[in-house]
Amino acid sequence: MGVVILLVMAAGVAAMLTRKLPTAFALVILAVVIAFVAGAPLTGKNSVVDTVLQEGAPALAATMIAIVLGSWLGKLLEETGVAATLVRKIVEFGGDRPVVVALGVLAVSALVGTVTGSAPAAMLAGLIGIPAMIAVGIPKVTAAGTILMGIAVGIPFELPLWQFFSTALELPVPTVRGFMVKLFPFALVAAVLYVFVESRRRGVEHTWSLKSVQDKPRSPNRRQRLGDAPWYALLTPAVPLILALGFELAIIPSMLAGVLYALVTTTRPREMNKRLLRTLYGGFEVAAPPIALFIAIGILLAAVKLPGAVDALEPLVKAASPQNAVLFVGVFTLLVPLCLYRGPLNVFGLGAGIAGVLISTGIYPAAVVLGMATSYNQVFGVADPTSTQTVWAAQYAGVSPQQVMVRTLPYVWAVALGGLCVTAASYL
Amino acid sequence: MKALGAAADPDTDDLDLAVRLLAATPTHEGRDPALLRRWAEAADAFGAALEPGPCRARIVERDDGLEELLLARYTSRPATVEICTDTVDRAETLIDELGWRSWYPVGSVRAAALAHESAHEHFHHKETRTALKEAIGHSALRLGRFRVLAHVAGAEEIAAHAYARTVCGLGRSPLLLTAALAAVVGAPGREN
Repeated sequence: MGVVILLVMAAGVAAMLTRKLPTAFALVILAVVIAFVAGAPLTGKNSVVDTVLQEGAPALAATMIAIVLGSWLGKLLEETGVAATLVRKIVEFGGDRPVVVALGVLAVSALVGTVTGSAPAAMLAGLIGIPAMIAVGIPKVTAAGTILMGIAVGIPFELPLWQFFSTALELPVPTVRGFMVKLFPFALVAAVLYVFVESRRRGVEHTWSLKSVQDKPRSPNRRQRLGDAPWYALLTPAVPLILALGFELAIIPSMLAGVLYALVTTTRPREMNKRLLRTLYGGFEVAAPPIALFIAIGILLAAVKLPGAVDALEPLVKAASPQNAVLFVGVFTLLVPLCLYRGPLNVFGLGAGIAGVLISTGIYPAAVVLGMATSYNQVFGVADPTSTQTVWAAQYAGVSPQQVMVRTLPYVWAVALGGLCVTAASYL
Repeated sequence: MKALGAAADPDTDDLDLAVRLLAATPTHEGRDPALLRRWAEAADAFGAALEPGPCRARIVERDDGLEELLLARYTSRPATVEICTDTVDRAETLIDELGWRSWYPVGSVRAAALAHESAHEHFHHKETRTALKEAIGHSALRLGRFRVLAHVAGAEEIAAHAYARTVCGLGRSPLLLTAALAAVVGAPGREN
């Protein structure tokens, strides 16, 4: 039975890899098939309809709310010009030293990465950040990679992610926060190293481009008409972080405080209602893809936690999971590439199901699975050529996602190694 | 010969083209056109007055410029100037087609490309960069008498074009030729 479930999972990975099915749809189908194979009845206790679909779909509801709030805040940062002003100031202060500009954009990306994730985060930091870096001579691949590495620095403090791991792995938020704080230095050091090493290796480049004097439509958008955001509004991305990390406030109120701070520091009272609604609705649009994914992940988690599935998978997964700390680090570091290309260790895909299996079968404590999943997430969030932020950043810079993957993978692989070492030392 | 867009209208002033380059450079969205014009003027004058010097970078040729919409590229590690021979050849043909030979003599496109990229080499020296910032005079921060001069993205590019124009004795800025090339090979559905 366990072998059949693994074969079904492999088929699901194949469907996602070959893009026969969107990831969210593939995960739901996978969940239903796994539930039937595990012998779940159609309705009733531990059933396909009532447990897997009905209880699974809203299981990650708190994460979905956090995602909506993060997207809302992201939209506010975009509309009020906070992110663009930060990049503009960085270029003005450090433009004649490209490394300084890259480090500045890295910092902005990290701040943005704490608020929202995926392609919206890349767009928020990269829409101006990437061409600004290229304009001061930073090579295109380095520029795209800087945005992604920056977002990855923010990932350990991305509040919706804390909520996701807390709910999905059934761990208290302080445990998730505790591990993320330990993961952060690895992400930071790798990102700063990336900027210094790649700048040193590649230097700067300037092109005589035929596109340089092409007329661009000059219909100033809302932010351009309003001008730069005031300096105190530039602190907006730090507000939820300070509240959640410094004052240990819950995630959703922290994010709401960020929304309010952005609003009162940038918007006249009579325009507040309009702006709040407009950016909230815009935020829903941005949040739609991850919410669809989190509904599917909730369903998959419910399926792999069914008693029949746990009984079937336990002996197989136990035999393949190292308990020795050194072996644990070695094996799971070598398996890092399996989280790329929507592979089986991608935590926003089948990886979530595997994490559920590892916990529900009792093979690893939930904290160990948290360490593995977050370490892999640092790789996936930067180097996966199929992840939306990598595709967007690479294409916007004018290079291929594969070029970005090749350049960034060594750095994020090292981050994963660091995360796995901390996991083994702390929890195994 | 296909019609050139308004961007490559020979009646357009060289300075207008420089302003257009600045306006299209990220971080200048929404800036006052009069301010951009002042910066463009300063950068152009700075580039035109730069001391001419030999191009010390290694020179290599490539033939994918039209595909990449590039005429030349400078990379600092190692210091190399890449000349896109296909774009240079197309530019020379275009000059004849447009009757612009009096502005751009035979062989001047390659010479301008080398001069342009060697100007970027100049800007690797801190003193030159500082001098350009002083010439433009834009402040990033001002606290009483204390002032931090701002880097103006795109200014080096304008200065490099002005340097190429002066050193190669061109009748018009290379920016006009760039706009004309972009109009015939750059737009979707055009000849490339």
